[in-house]
Amino acid sequence: MIVADRKSLDEILWMVSDCNKILIAGCKGCVTVCNVGGMKEVGILASALKIARKKEGKPLEVDEKTLERQCDPEYVEQIRDIYDDYDAVVSMACGVGPQFLSEAYPSQRFFPAVNTTFFGGATEHGIWEERCAGCGTCIIHYYDGMCPIARCSKSIQHGPCGGSARGKCEINAELDCIWDMIVKKKMEQGRLDDLLMVKAAKDWRTARDGGPRKSIREELTK
Amino acid sequence: MEGECHFLEGNLRARKRVDYVKKTLEELGIEPERVEIFNLSSAMGPQFAEIAKGMTDKIKELGPSPVNC
Amino acid sequence: MSELKSGSNLEKVLKAGHFAFTGECGPPQGANVEHLKEKYSHLKGMVDAVNVTDNQTAVVRMSSWAASTLMVQDGLEPNFQMVCRDRNRLAMMGDILGVHAMGIRNMLCLSGDHQQFGNHPESKNVYDIDSMQLIALVKKMRDEGKFMNDKDIDVPPKLFIGAASNPFADPYEFRVYRLANKIEAGADFIQTQCIYNMDKFRDFMKKAVDMGLHEKAYILAGVTPMKSVGMARYMSKSVPGMDVPDEIINRLKGAGKGKVAEEGIKFALEQIEEFKEMEGVAGVHLMAIEWEHKVPEIAERAGVLPRPVV
Repeated sequence: MIVADRKSLDEILWMVSDCNKILIAGCKGCVTVCNVGGMKEVGILASALKIARKKEGKPLEVDEKTLERQCDPEYVEQIRDIYDDYDAVVSMACGVGPQFLSEAYPSQRFFPAVNTTFFGGATEHGIWEERCAGCGTCIIHYYDGMCPIARCSKSIQHGPCGGSARGKCEINAELDCIWDMIVKKKMEQGRLDDLLMVKAAKDWRTARDGGPRKSIREELTK
Repeated sequence: MEGECHFLEGNLRARKRVDYVKKTLEELGIEPERVEIFNLSSAMGPQFAEIAKGMTDKIKELGPSPVNC
Repeated sequence: MSELKSGSNLEKVLKAGHFAFTGECGPPQGANVEHLKEKYSHLKGMVDAVNVTDNQTAVVRMSSWAASTLMVQDGLEPNFQMVCRDRNRLAMMGDILGVHAMGIRNMLCLSGDHQQFGNHPESKNVYDIDSMQLIALVKKMRDEGKFMNDKDIDVPPKLFIGAASNPFADPYEFRVYRLANKIEAGADFIQTQCIYNMDKFRDFMKKAVDMGLHEKAYILAGVTPMKSVGMARYMSKSVPGMDVPDEIINRLKGAGKGKVAEEGIKFALEQIEEFKEMEGVAGVHLMAIEWEHKVPEIAERAGVLPRPVV
């Protein structure tokens, strides 16, 4: 899923400083699963903003609405009847949400309440880790299902680099060296030879480096 | 007592959540000590009374919430 | 001489079977040419080539190609270092052509320390290609006369290709295979990370020799004399992939006040003596960090002077 962290209250308050009435739009997709922008978090943010503004003596009216998803034109329609009732809309979806909303409602302003961080999963309750860099050309079959592009600090295809020590990355003693994991798994499986070839340089055109990406599946288009 | 909850880890989680509330209050500029968590067993009536009194005194000292006045 | 790949002095020295001796010089954190010249002047005639670091430890410094060019002008042979952290393949190939045009003939291909270590941790890290692919790229440009995209280069850059090896990083069992991989990719010579754990290095070299790697590339053993107990502790704790056994730290401590640096040099000299005899070791790479003026003394005492003229 897409993982996000909530922005600080100060930053969100600054965004809405000229507003008297806002809508906080949550999303039932990824950000609900990673406990940052679902119905519950919308409620918490609404309360916090109201308290903060009341304390300032500039009360803020806040409505809450959590959409099925914000990355789909069909569900973005769920605020069609109300979007214009506010000075601004604060989206708690990933970075996709405010943009789909903004495109659907050109007359309204949309602000992000979260920092979208990575594609990953929960390794335990309350802890999420990055697993995919969305580079557009998956190569993890070479590495038994582990991705050095996303998980090596240097995204190297021939690791581990000289900074790998005791299974940890040189940049942070808390961070597992993915190359250490890859090599150990290959050794355990007796397939170290897989790593002893020089791989061609990666074609980054399919990653963000090739410009904004688009995926078209003809059989599904109208 | 802490860690000896009837619901196993319930009071440990509760403490983390209270910490989260305190942090949020702090961000809002409201005294975080308006919320506290204490661990007591059902056999500790006097201590409960003491804590309740202490809490009441603290809140009186802090004065009314800036949001409610 | 037609068989020479680059015609660099280092290549000639190694090819002639001499025990090579290379040094290192970090460019200044500024455009202070005089300071740089002063630093490398101590190395003239003392070493076969001087490694010129490329924004080492991710701290911004005068570019390695510019400092290397100054050395060429002053009659020293640089070993131009390039890291994968700061350049994409366009910049890399441009610089590879550029350094050859400026008379540079050795190039060491490195991944580079992550920028988080340095003085601009906010920067974007590039790593378009990794050190293995950089080695292969320089080889392709030199031997096939082609860019990475397979298009022809009109005058291919002739460089003696170096790579680094750290026998002390983990997982240890894999290190010799990674070295083999770099040689397979095209490395002509290898410079190792600073060695302090001699037992481990002996074992590593035995494995390398068993695999015949010393016959495919020249392996230079890395030596950095310890200046102080503090430096030893710092290297042990804070430098990634560095293995400094306690016995070394204790030996330095035992040297007594005012004698630690001399003890550090003594240990380095003992190492060099052993490397001269160690099977598969073709030379020593002396990294006298911010201690360039000590290189003549160390070279003299190590018995590696005068340097061969080939």
